[in-house]
Amino acid sequence: MDKKYGVYICTGCGIGDALDIDKLCEVPKEEGLSVKTHPFLCGKEGIELIKKDIADESVNSMVIAGCSSRINFDVFKFDGCIVDRVNLREQVIWSHPRSEYPAPTEEQKDDEEFVDHVQMLAADYLKMGMVKLEKIDLPEPYKLETISKKILVIGGGITGISSAIDAAKAGYDVTIVEKESSLGGYAAKIRKQLPLKYPYENLIPPVIDAKIKEVEAYPNITIKTNAIVARIAGEPGEFTVTFKKPGEKIEFDVPFPLPDEMKVDENGKELDVEKLAEVYAEYNKGKNDILTLDPNGELFGAVVLAAGWRPDKPEGDKVAHLGFGKLVDVVTNHQFEEIAAKGKVIRPSDGKEAKSVVFIQSPGKSDDDSDFDYCGSVTSLVSLKQAKYVREDYDDGKAYVFYQHMRTPGLQENFYKSIQQDEGIFLTKGNVVNVSQNGDDLIVEADNTLLGEKVQVKADMVVLATGMVPATVDDSVVNLAYRQGPAFRDIGLFNGYCDSNFICFPYETQRTGIYAAGGVRRSMTIEESMEDATGAALKAIQCIESVNRGVAVHPRSGDMTFPDFFFQRCTQCKRCTEECPFGALDDDEKGTPRLNPTRCRRCGTCMGACPERIIGFADYNIDSIGSMVKSIGVPSEDDFDEPPFRFLGLVCENDAYPALDIAGLNRLTYSADVRFIPVRCLGSVNVIWIKDALSQGMDGIFLLGCKHGDDYQCHFVKGSELADIRMKKIGDALASLALEEERVAQFQVAIDEYDKIPEIINTFVKSVEELGPNPFKGF
Amino acid sequence: MADKYLIEPDLNFVKKIVGLGGDTLKKCFQCATCSVVCPISPDNKPFPRKEMIAASWGLKDKLVTNADIWLCHQCGDCSTMCPRGARPGDVLGAIRSYAISEYATPKWLGEAVNDPKKLPMLLGIPVVIFIVLGLITGLLDFSPEGDKIAHSSFFSSWLVDLIFVPLAAWVAVVFGMGIKRFVNDIHNNAVLEGKTDKTKLEICGFLKALVKVLPTILKHSKFSECGENKDRATAHLMVFYSFLGLFIVTNIFFVVLYVFQIHGPYSQMNPVKWLANISGVALIIGSALMIKNRLAKTDQTSSYKDWYLLGLVLGLGLSGMLTEMTRLAGFAGASYFLYFVHLVFVFNLFAFLPFSKLAHFVYRTIAMAYAEYGNR
Repeated sequence: MDKKYGVYICTGCGIGDALDIDKLCEVPKEEGLSVKTHPFLCGKEGIELIKKDIADESVNSMVIAGCSSRINFDVFKFDGCIVDRVNLREQVIWSHPRSEYPAPTEEQKDDEEFVDHVQMLAADYLKMGMVKLEKIDLPEPYKLETISKKILVIGGGITGISSAIDAAKAGYDVTIVEKESSLGGYAAKIRKQLPLKYPYENLIPPVIDAKIKEVEAYPNITIKTNAIVARIAGEPGEFTVTFKKPGEKIEFDVPFPLPDEMKVDENGKELDVEKLAEVYAEYNKGKNDILTLDPNGELFGAVVLAAGWRPDKPEGDKVAHLGFGKLVDVVTNHQFEEIAAKGKVIRPSDGKEAKSVVFIQSPGKSDDDSDFDYCGSVTSLVSLKQAKYVREDYDDGKAYVFYQHMRTPGLQENFYKSIQQDEGIFLTKGNVVNVSQNGDDLIVEADNTLLGEKVQVKADMVVLATGMVPATVDDSVVNLAYRQGPAFRDIGLFNGYCDSNFICFPYETQRTGIYAAGGVRRSMTIEESMEDATGAALKAIQCIESVNRGVAVHPRSGDMTFPDFFFQRCTQCKRCTEECPFGALDDDEKGTPRLNPTRCRRCGTCMGACPERIIGFADYNIDSIGSMVKSIGVPSEDDFDEPPFRFLGLVCENDAYPALDIAGLNRLTYSADVRFIPVRCLGSVNVIWIKDALSQGMDGIFLLGCKHGDDYQCHFVKGSELADIRMKKIGDALASLALEEERVAQFQVAIDEYDKIPEIINTFVKSVEELGPNPFKGF
Repeated sequence: MADKYLIEPDLNFVKKIVGLGGDTLKKCFQCATCSVVCPISPDNKPFPRKEMIAASWGLKDKLVTNADIWLCHQCGDCSTMCPRGARPGDVLGAIRSYAISEYATPKWLGEAVNDPKKLPMLLGIPVVIFIVLGLITGLLDFSPEGDKIAHSSFFSSWLVDLIFVPLAAWVAVVFGMGIKRFVNDIHNNAVLEGKTDKTKLEICGFLKALVKVLPTILKHSKFSECGENKDRATAHLMVFYSFLGLFIVTNIFFVVLYVFQIHGPYSQMNPVKWLANISGVALIIGSALMIKNRLAKTDQTSSYKDWYLLGLVLGLGLSGMLTEMTRLAGFAGASYFLYFVHLVFVFNLFAFLPFSKLAHFVYRTIAMAYAEYGNR
């Protein structure tokens, strides 16, 4: 497109008072660009001014300098135009008040040594905006040639059925695949279930039968029982799915990546590419490569993963003192449910009526008060439910619950209250230290109960509130024909659950187009599973309807860009394929990456990873950011006797950039020598930008992004962590240039930690100032 | 403290407590607000939280023998502040009522006192005894002569004493047996639960402690520490002192009759009569106030045992005063009838004293003395 530039500066919100606007207008004028100012650019008159230029002057690329791009984004939106917003308000005048950074007085105006920090900051940002416009293009959406709008639901339990019904109601074709011979899953194997509606007080018969009838009545729902997914190939919108019978071996079984120990020879040396391919072929003999599509495969647009869970069977020291495995009458909640589903509650050992049953919520004994593995509020509720079974079966029945945590969220609190009202159910916090046989009875001993330091209870049976192990722990289930492997990537944080970020991005797995719900996502009740199913169904629909329009699904919903590769220069290093947090890239046998655009979340991690810098987006690439860096004025001793320092801050636009804006909004001030550039994710930061900045004499560079680690907040799971690794590696390169590694740093900030921003920035600035100026300055 | 406590919940006990007005007991979720807000609970092992959990677990042995249930004056602060509506005050009241039946023999009588269906029987017993004994001995004269109305000419003082002196002795025996068990039990319980620094129960020290707490009881100073039901203290104080007054008057009458052979009725100018009249009026006003308070407090549970006692006390006061007034007005028939009714009330109050809620004055006094003795 032929770009016709226009620069518009808003002088409202105090910008005109704080800055010398005439001087600022010189910046674009020097470049030969037209510049207009308006005291209220976002108002009707201001917008008309821009629109008139679009109509009369064919302006199609504009820099709009004023407030943050996070504000009025809908106002400054013009079809077919490239717009860049220069943040003069939040990040210039609000965070650098004239009271702290005075404007030159009349006498100082001609003083060449006077440093007007704020004016320089504004001028730099304007320049950066102008140069960015030059380097970016309007994106064109990626559209699949064929698109399937069908939704595949893996798992025919309560979650899968509910999800299928919800998607079908919304008008989508759904296929349920269930490995058992009939639908229902665990929900069909229980005696009673927890209440689903007000007053949430009484147990109800399982709703699963009615749900199965309902799902079978939908014409747009296909049910495949006795079937599992052999492989899911391709990408959202056109997943090619091969089904098979459980246990069957077929050529479209998904190949597995080589385990690490097979990637090296007997001396521990890494195998070369050809040898690796050979070993891989041998390892996956009889299976087609991931890039070979099954001609008989069925096409789906998105997948709901509702594969459920299996009851845990605790082992080892953690439960030895509870007699589990040794005493027959000590059972898990699952075993108890099986007994209760058959009839009256009886002891497994001799079939005697179990009139006194102790429910144990936490393994106890040690100082660790955690519950059994894979537990949750559901195990608390199940204990209450099963305690009620004892009371239903026997008038003189007694049920005891020893808990460390009693979790009954939401209105299930009412259920807890109703259980508590039962005179034969006894609840106490306590640490169970031992279960032993004493004649005909079991004796349960507990410490630190509400009733005293050490207590004992006689029991006919003991029930352990063991957890729900997600299906993804034992099996890859989804069997993705992805180069990164058939399962969800285990990032060591989720205990085998397939979530990406449980709190921020529910249902979203680390694989775009696959949405988890129910017990596979966390241990949950039938009620929660049904609600979860709706969420995942809606996500699957969102995915299909985004892919359909060629835009990103989440978290950059609506983004039309996607990574573009300049393959001539690709060295097949595979870094992009391996580092992509979402497995969007598959490489062919030579190692050349193959993008699956609809799997992509547009974070740019590949762009940050690529050593050849051949990956970029239409409006965000190595050159556009690199040019912005280069356009920053770095004053040297030629300009001033004491030139001010210059710092570059590469800022994650998801959380850190808003935090900066909020800091400005709160008039928190920080060094005026820092220039910020927003990036899609710290994972997209290419080391070249840092090298460029240092070689042009900038004194320090820092990355400001999301928290990583256990409680990570990165919107792209791994971006800020990868950046951290890359920044550590850059230290060596700096040392070879005789630069201190302290000149490059990375800081973590959450969106609500705006108050910490000034300290983070000023401390870094101060520490670099102590190191002295960058010796490359002025070269 | 015992090494390990074997928990054996008594489901029937829970049902009983629920029936006695503690129907909210299972609602407790052990937040301990009750123990914190209680103005009279001690810092060490405070009540009523531990009583609430023990009650919901049906641990009868931890409650009936527990002196703490008697230290509670049921002021209601805990019930008002309870976030769960578990009403600890009412639950303790129910437990006390259960404990009273536990320590009184025979048990069936205790149960009868707490059973509204047995009320006609309880009222019938004195009527039958009075009439049968009166007819056998001839001490009951249905057509008394003389111009002056003297109740003894209708219901001979001999007959009164023939009935009430043995009755008093019986009450004393029942109480004595109960108290002996009670004192031992609360001591053992206190030692077991670490609520006392005494290991042995010494009678002498205990009696000293009893003397020490008497001023507290006489002044109702514990009662008035309560926040929620402060007004109840006044009414209770009135009833308490009127009973004390009437007790003194009755004893003076007894002594005067048998030692000086002087019969009533006394002149209205007699100071003993003054005390009697003041006490009688105070009894009516006090018990009426109590009833009014209970009726006004719709959020407080009032069970049958409460109404039985209050009805009895008011009836006693009213029948007594009316007897005197009809006598002074010269309505002989009415006065004699009312006197009979009055005696029925007296009998009920007296005979069932160890079984009714009124027994609290004995148990609470002992518990308070024990708390003083054991440095609770």
